[in-house]
Amino acid sequence: MSTLQIIACVKQVPASTEVKLNKETNTLIREGVEAIINPFDTYAIEEAVRLKQQHGGKVTALSMGIPSVAELLKQTVALGVDEAVLLSDRRFAGADSLATAWALAGGVRQTGAFDLVICGKQATDGDTAQVGPSLAEKLGIPHTTYVRSIEHVDEKLIRCIRLTDDGQETIEMTLPALITVVKDINVPRLPSIRGIRQAQSAPVKLLTADDVNADEKRIGLKGSPTQVVKTFIPAQTTESELFTGTPTEQAKQLVAKLVARRLVQEGEADGRD
Amino acid sequence: MVGLISKFMKSEHWEYLRDESRSIGEADSISFPRTEEELEKIVKVLAAEQIPITVQGARTGLTGGAVPYGGHVINLSKMNRITGLRYDHGRFLLRVQPGILLVEVRKALENMQFDTTLWSQESVDALELLKQSGPQFFSPDPTEASASIGGMINCNASGARSYHYGPTRNHIESVKVLLTDGSSLSLVRGKHRTIDGQFRVASEAGNELSGTLPLYKMPDVKNASGYYLKPDMDLLDIFIGSEGTLGIVTEAELSLLPAPAAIWGVTVFLPNQDSALRFVRAVRGEQVDGIRQSDIQLPVAIEFFDARALELLRKEREHNAAFGQLQEIKSHYHTAVYVEFHGDNDMQATEWILSLGDLITSCGGDETDTWVAQNPRDMEKLQFFRHAIPESVNMLIDQRRNTEPFLTKLGTDMAVPDQHLTSMFELYDRRLAETGLEAVVFGHIGNNHVHVNILPRSLEDYQRGKELYLDWAQEAVSAGGTVSAEHGIGKLKTAFLAVMYGEEGLQKMREVKRLFDPKGLLSPGNMFSPVQQER
Repeated sequence: MSTLQIIACVKQVPASTEVKLNKETNTLIREGVEAIINPFDTYAIEEAVRLKQQHGGKVTALSMGIPSVAELLKQTVALGVDEAVLLSDRRFAGADSLATAWALAGGVRQTGAFDLVICGKQATDGDTAQVGPSLAEKLGIPHTTYVRSIEHVDEKLIRCIRLTDDGQETIEMTLPALITVVKDINVPRLPSIRGIRQAQSAPVKLLTADDVNADEKRIGLKGSPTQVVKTFIPAQTTESELFTGTPTEQAKQLVAKLVARRLVQEGEADGRD
Repeated sequence: MVGLISKFMKSEHWEYLRDESRSIGEADSISFPRTEEELEKIVKVLAAEQIPITVQGARTGLTGGAVPYGGHVINLSKMNRITGLRYDHGRFLLRVQPGILLVEVRKALENMQFDTTLWSQESVDALELLKQSGPQFFSPDPTEASASIGGMINCNASGARSYHYGPTRNHIESVKVLLTDGSSLSLVRGKHRTIDGQFRVASEAGNELSGTLPLYKMPDVKNASGYYLKPDMDLLDIFIGSEGTLGIVTEAELSLLPAPAAIWGVTVFLPNQDSALRFVRAVRGEQVDGIRQSDIQLPVAIEFFDARALELLRKEREHNAAFGQLQEIKSHYHTAVYVEFHGDNDMQATEWILSLGDLITSCGGDETDTWVAQNPRDMEKLQFFRHAIPESVNMLIDQRRNTEPFLTKLGTDMAVPDQHLTSMFELYDRRLAETGLEAVVFGHIGNNHVHVNILPRSLEDYQRGKELYLDWAQEAVSAGGTVSAEHGIGKLKTAFLAVMYGEEGLQKMREVKRLFDPKGLLSPGNMFSPVQQER
């Protein structure tokens, strides 16, 4: 088959898994938290690099963000990405998932012909899982989400297995197409020293809104219909209680609770091992 | 008082009979003091009745130090508070109770979150200063982060980063110790010292304790075997590494260090063991083949994994879903060496990594065969790999115990001086080949301190392994090394202590024991086998 032109989308997120909120403003505290590549996107990059190694071709990593994201994009070069492209322009700032999709669509078109776009299933900061599917719509190509393995790719189609709530299903799509991937799909490699050495001199292609002929009404804050009216920490609806004491004491406390809530009857709890 | 000491109920307290050595002891009573006052009361009652006492922290030790040999168990897990903070001569000193876990100390420091309800004003002020000074850390890093600080002090624990930062001893500024006669000593580094072995110190109650510490020659390597004895020393050092045999540590001050801004790790795969050992020597600054690399940054950790350990992991990765997220260990990866760098920024770390690449090439390796971690998330992946090896060993042994319940792994803990690194490896390989025993070798090679884990398939293997272990201990000692560099002696390695110090040395240790615990009540069986102690 012919070689594959693959685009992997990448987002910068805070490294910390423990999200801290500013209690006064209800916004995420980002200061002092190291930035990393969205962990789900590392699976997208890995899958793209593996496909390239199997079928030949080229992998482009594409991101939208502040200029410092270029450093993170260089890390993807150390992993086997051939070209890194960053959409960076003040006019892109303040984008919601829709405006992000429009901007990325411009970036994808700018890179030329492509066969496959791979995104992580969602970003660990926003958790919307919307940008991937939304991007496919803007590009006018088929897409599927939560892909756990790619069974087959040729010049015309891709067949993959995606996770569903009940199990999994096999989806076949014509190329070009977009998939979003879950953790099960692979084990992302770590960079080698050789990779890091190569990445040192790798250029990151910077694209502005003009470079991708972006419609200003569709990007950045202007292009974002989403309005954050209020953010809040959801009220705790479940209670948890920690039993202490010896295992026997804890078991007794547990039984008493279950009986009190009528989840078991007294007789059931007694005398049985 | 009745409420403090409970009769030992096997059905409820069974877990307090064992530790990570997987040996099982017995006890008649148990207590869980919450405060120093409670602890003092308990010890008073027990001492009056001459009941032996085994002190426990989190029971993560590997030599049975916390396994009771009859008598009473004092479990310190409920004395687990951070009680204060002090700023002294440019350093922050965190005061903790012995039962607090290393992971809890780390978490508090990372989040800068402390329960200051019972803190003094001085401590609260120091905390303000700490918050302004930026992140600090407590450097000792035993693999098991759920170890208690009291346990770490009592076996002078170390870990991968001890190659650069040194063992627990180097980071303990003061300890408060309760002796079995009821007196409590506050010992501060630099303040309470011995002169020509002689010491004189006042207890909290004002009684004076004095004596003369004997002297023997300790090996000049990383060491956790026997009492720390030097002609002029800080008195608290006799308690660090004493395995609960002299007194009960009731409080300690941990000396903190500014946390490095950039922590990078690299696992390097070399094409053969010889190349790996050359790389180890080169990266720690030794001359190899007449060439010394001058531009190499010294790592804070140098760890080793032999071909057999990698093969074990390859198999586990295939069959065990828990190891599914391990990186692929390619078939041409023969031996692995892990190095870690702590720097001021990523740019500096990148430079160090690139010159490491040159060093790898000069040692016969290929810089493509490396895994680099540049952020905490990737560092976790490298740690996962490191921890997966002892875990795989334990799983393998558990499997074999199904058919042969008395089997355990035999894990060595010896360290030798730098110049004996290669010859020690030759010895291990030769004797393993001769005996046909299965084993994996991994550990802290920076300090010439690897763990050979012999994996017996039968009781005959086990017996042969024990003999081999004793042989190696003798070889390590005659090379100027130690029989235990970090796990301690506990109850499982007392025979090796005799190999190391001889009868004369043991006699001196018994003298020390008599000075602080004249009735011999504390931690019976630790360091000295019970028979030796009675003599």
